[in-house]
Amino acid sequence: MVDKSVMRARDFWTALVLIAISLFFLYQTSLIPFFQANAAGVQGRWYNSAALVPFGIFSGLLILALVLLAIAIFDGGARQAFSSIGIGYSPSESARLLCISAILAAYIFGLVPRVDFIICSALVITALIWGFRSGDRTAMATATIIVICAAAYALLMHFPRAEWTKPHDDDIATLVAFVLITILMFVRSRMLGRIDRITRLTPMIAILVPALLVIAMAFGFRQNVPNRQGLLFSKIEYHYYVNIKPLWSNR
Amino acid sequence: MEFLVAQLSGFSGSLTALVMDPVTYFYLIPAVFLGIVFGALPGLTATLAVTILTGFFGNKFPLEYSLIALIGAYVGAIYGGSYPSILLNIPGTAASAATAMDGYPLTKKGRGGEALGITTTASFIGTLFGTVCLLVFVWALLLMSKNIASPEKALLALFGILLSGTLMSQDLVIKGWIAGLIGLAMAMIGLDPILSEDRYTFGWSYLLSGLQVVPVLMGAFAIPQIMDGMRATVMVSDMPQIGRVVPRFREVFRRLPGISRSGAIGTGVGALPGVGEDVAGWVSYGVGKAASKESKDFGKGSVDGLISAEAANNAAIGGALIPLLVLGIPGSPPAAALLGALKINNVIPGPTIDPALILHVVAILVMASLTMFLMGLFTAKVFIMILRIPQTVFLPVVLVLTTIGSFSVGGGINDLFLMVCVGLVAYAMNVMQYPIAPLVIGVILGGLFDETFRRSLLISDGDLAVFASRPGAAILLTLNILLILSQIPFFKRAARRLTTKRKETP
Repeated sequence: MVDKSVMRARDFWTALVLIAISLFFLYQTSLIPFFQANAAGVQGRWYNSAALVPFGIFSGLLILALVLLAIAIFDGGARQAFSSIGIGYSPSESARLLCISAILAAYIFGLVPRVDFIICSALVITALIWGFRSGDRTAMATATIIVICAAAYALLMHFPRAEWTKPHDDDIATLVAFVLITILMFVRSRMLGRIDRITRLTPMIAILVPALLVIAMAFGFRQNVPNRQGLLFSKIEYHYYVNIKPLWSNR
Repeated sequence: MEFLVAQLSGFSGSLTALVMDPVTYFYLIPAVFLGIVFGALPGLTATLAVTILTGFFGNKFPLEYSLIALIGAYVGAIYGGSYPSILLNIPGTAASAATAMDGYPLTKKGRGGEALGITTTASFIGTLFGTVCLLVFVWALLLMSKNIASPEKALLALFGILLSGTLMSQDLVIKGWIAGLIGLAMAMIGLDPILSEDRYTFGWSYLLSGLQVVPVLMGAFAIPQIMDGMRATVMVSDMPQIGRVVPRFREVFRRLPGISRSGAIGTGVGALPGVGEDVAGWVSYGVGKAASKESKDFGKGSVDGLISAEAANNAAIGGALIPLLVLGIPGSPPAAALLGALKINNVIPGPTIDPALILHVVAILVMASLTMFLMGLFTAKVFIMILRIPQTVFLPVVLVLTTIGSFSVGGGINDLFLMVCVGLVAYAMNVMQYPIAPLVIGVILGGLFDETFRRSLLISDGDLAVFASRPGAAILLTLNILLILSQIPFFKRAARRLTTKRKETP
């Protein structure tokens, strides 16, 4: 549980952010026609306007943010809001969050749209398990850097949507990153002592979980899956329709 | 009487159809198992279980079968949270936080098996209690809901958001309201429901149809858990010995009044819009402490305390489905995820809902609770083994699950971007102790509130008296005002002075 004084210091900053956001959106709402809302055959009246409810919401948010600011100031939050100790800043916790956020962003914005889902998920699962399980800061930093490098390559080399599916050089780069991170995980574990059961199982979890999931989603649940043209999935899909499905299908 | 007979015959028809269909078990058993696993693993929640399955089933499967899986997972997850609460003193879900108060002391006394057995039975009876209430009250409310027009709907949606914000706040109540308003604001994105006016899309065509419910739910509930849970943890090596799990019949019979009381409280709290199972568990625990003969043992290993929390949180499931089916207003966050599933299958809950669907839901609840009961009694050791998996191993798997689930529902890659953005905001809100449930309820009810509020004004030609002139609307308006006033310090002090004076007057 966070200390109350630390929470009020954080509330001070949150209230300022909320005030800024509500003012920005109140301005944006003012761009929606209010008193001359003539659309869809409805005559212009204030109560017809699409801006009516948003005005209420953002005005309410502004008022509540001001109340929160007042509470934070009265409870002494403003006094300690300018010191890192006052807001409960912890360098190690910030580094951990920064690494997780970077991996998450690299995975969703860089890898998933461009790289084969099985390969990129295997890389991220390995990075997260190895980087954050033992509290080893070197492992955390190394895992983050490897994921960012793989995502940066995919993002920079194939930024436009037209290049998301082919060619497969980014798939191969991510596969290399996965092999590299797996080797590093075993070497580092060996250096620090014994290779435990979870370390031994990690590569298997990393490959099997996304592979089974994507197969189940695509062929079992008949859902859309990311990057169907990916290096591995395109092969799986080809063999499913050419070699496996004809076994029980008449077509 | 006639009504009751008609209800029972309709329900028995639905239940028979469900029992006789072998496909039912194909969906039900894995879903309940998965639900219990999600509940048992700290960091994973019932809402997340239902949301992930919504992503998997989407609208590609018949809704009747999807509902079996979703409701099965919901029932299983609410119950599954009791495992780590009882054995490790770590609540698996927020709903089972009250369970730990007496469950863990019982385990420390070497009565872990007994605690698990009585919890399983109480959860089973609690779910059935909520289900019976759902069967009876949903029809009465459906008849009433035909008189509910736009003003009442708008005020009820607002009441749900305010109530959820008030009851779910851990720090200041104002934070719950801010979270609710942020959710409402998020629901304003896209084309407005009456004039199709473009709002806050910033030229991005994906936003024209508004924010999709499933990625928002996954972002709000999965990403903060992943970000918070990925830290060095010590693996649980020694699980306490639990012994016999199957409870003695005489013991269950003796506890029936307590279970029934908790079931009634759980159903009532669950039926309040946007509140949910965790509040139900705590309210019932508080009432149980006041009413039980064992009240002095509460918190030290009282079976009555355990029952109070567990029967109530499972009974809340049936309660939470009442406003969902009658008005389209979810009674709890997992019910909000269920609403998302109904919406992507083009089912609009409310007075026009297909009565057969309600009976089907009731029959699924009965089957799911029975499956949960049998699994809980006879496979408890499997779930205890699963508790050994560290968070840092299963949370990356959850990340992959949510990614593929979110992608599949419809919007493709844009839904993933939305999920991450919502997730980062939700994490920041978690750190600042803002509750997430009001935000989600706000996103879900925002469209309904906007549409019904403006439609009321359109019908009345801009006369605000429309929100006070109808009896139902007047009651709801009063409730909204009272709820806000009750949290303002001046009125709080005045109310306290008033009650103190009344006590002093002989």
